[in-house]
Amino acid sequence: MKDKRRKTQTKLNRFIFWMLFPTFGIIFVFTYYPTLWGIILSFKDYTVFNFQHIHFVGFKNFISLFEDPNFYQAAWNTLWWIGASVFFQLILGFILALLMRYPFKGRNLYAGIVFYPWALSGFALGILWSWLLNGQFGLINDILIKAHILKHGINFLSDPQYAFYSVIGVNIWYGIPFFAIMILAALQSIPESLYEASEIDGATPFAQFLHITLPFIKPTLVSTVLLRVIWVMNFPDIIYGMTRGGPAGATNILATYMINIVYFDTDYSRASAVGVIIVAILTIYTLIYLKVTSSYELGEI
Amino acid sequence: MRRRGSTFGKVFKTFLLFIYFLMAVVPLYWIVVTSLKEPTEVYTWPLKYWPTHISLSGYKFLFKFANFAQFFKNSLFTSLTASFFAMIFSTLSGYVMARYKFTYKKTLIVLLFFAQMIPTYLLMIPQYRMFSDIGLIDNLWALVIVYVNVAVSFSTIMARGFFSRIPKNLEEAAMIDGTSRIGAIFKITIPLSLPGIAAIFSFSFVNTWNELFTAALFINSSEKMTIPVALNSFVSKAGIQWNVMGAGLVVALLPTIIVFAFAQRYIIAGLTKGALKG
Repeated sequence: MKDKRRKTQTKLNRFIFWMLFPTFGIIFVFTYYPTLWGIILSFKDYTVFNFQHIHFVGFKNFISLFEDPNFYQAAWNTLWWIGASVFFQLILGFILALLMRYPFKGRNLYAGIVFYPWALSGFALGILWSWLLNGQFGLINDILIKAHILKHGINFLSDPQYAFYSVIGVNIWYGIPFFAIMILAALQSIPESLYEASEIDGATPFAQFLHITLPFIKPTLVSTVLLRVIWVMNFPDIIYGMTRGGPAGATNILATYMINIVYFDTDYSRASAVGVIIVAILTIYTLIYLKVTSSYELGEI
Repeated sequence: MRRRGSTFGKVFKTFLLFIYFLMAVVPLYWIVVTSLKEPTEVYTWPLKYWPTHISLSGYKFLFKFANFAQFFKNSLFTSLTASFFAMIFSTLSGYVMARYKFTYKKTLIVLLFFAQMIPTYLLMIPQYRMFSDIGLIDNLWALVIVYVNVAVSFSTIMARGFFSRIPKNLEEAAMIDGTSRIGAIFKITIPLSLPGIAAIFSFSFVNTWNELFTAALFINSSEKMTIPVALNSFVSKAGIQWNVMGAGLVVALLPTIIVFAFAQRYIIAGLTKGALKG
């Protein structure tokens, strides 16, 4: 009897193993192994011209990064890029979710139409926006001039100051639907009876918002914001479509800074050093994330 | 349903919804209009909000001279193949992770979660080395493998989410009736979770269709470019006509718009119910 049970247990274990094997096999070989390899490469001298005789060079790549003013600019920009993007995505997404909370005629169609940017290529939309923001023939300038806000067109993407505001603005535009989707789902899970009960007690809409709505969707807000921070930090697509990090590095974040080193300097080891820094930030951040969300009892990780 | 708010409130709400509608739709409208203009009309001021006559010259250039039909085929091949494998793999692993307890399960979930956060551009250099060692550089299959890798972690998390919402005793009942474990999965669980599986497939498709950075590094020859790589080469070429670029963008965006139109409901359900709950 015991033997038989053990046999079915091994059989079950084997079943579990083979079901998991393709997924985790590919993740180990093509995500985790390259991650480790990337760390090793960052201490070597691998470039497109040095394919054969790759040596350890110690911290040389990191030192050359820390001597590059563009690196600091990219790091600083990354903070602003994350902070401003996520903040406004959250606020505007929240407002949109509140507006769409109760059914109105054509709500599903409306959602289907306005939520689309979320699924589309950030790179392609970046190129699209670079056309809308074109200094000479851009639609945005046309609208601003017709509304008498501007007299002459602005070269949004060739002026460093405007360029950085522009890429952040487009990123906010891109991220509103994601927040709206997540918050809308959370809003719809709030039992209506809570509001009815508080209405009998004479609560104002604002008090209801503060004491019912907010506490109820707080876990969603926290986890969505925390996840979004990682995602936005690792999202070079829009910037790459609009400015490629230019003019003169004004719109570089760490991600585009690294990609430009790969494509244009073709110094793969120095790029890997940037990658290591990004992974380090990511790891620390994720550990904090897991700690915070598990204290909210979100999911059973 | 509760009634609240004055008429003014209602009008204001509608107004805000309308503003956001414009913000979402006008950029797309504008690129479609640009792609349908004559080259000369693209560069006239004041702007024309509708082409004087509709011209397909941008699209003609794209498909005749820029070899876009080939790029489209390449993109379609890599995205469909990669999403297919990601769908199969994640269904298998997501099922097991939803149904069984086993050692290291927690570790594996954290590994999935973390893998999902490592962006493609961080991995592309070592991957480039790996594929050049086995001679798969400038090969669409290398992209397929990389894209399965990208899609499979999130897809597994999603699959685990929807499988865990299908009651286990449905399968057990079938197994008592003499069906095998695999048989029960195929007869009971898979049909019930088809919407979720469709969501996984379409979500992977959209993401792989859009991928630029790995593809731009891995693909050298022009006949193997995917659409994002081709657009990227347009950007670097100074003096590309914007009606051509507009046409290219329309062709790049259209398939994902179509997929999204059909699958949005399921993707959103998977996203809001499955993914975030780890």
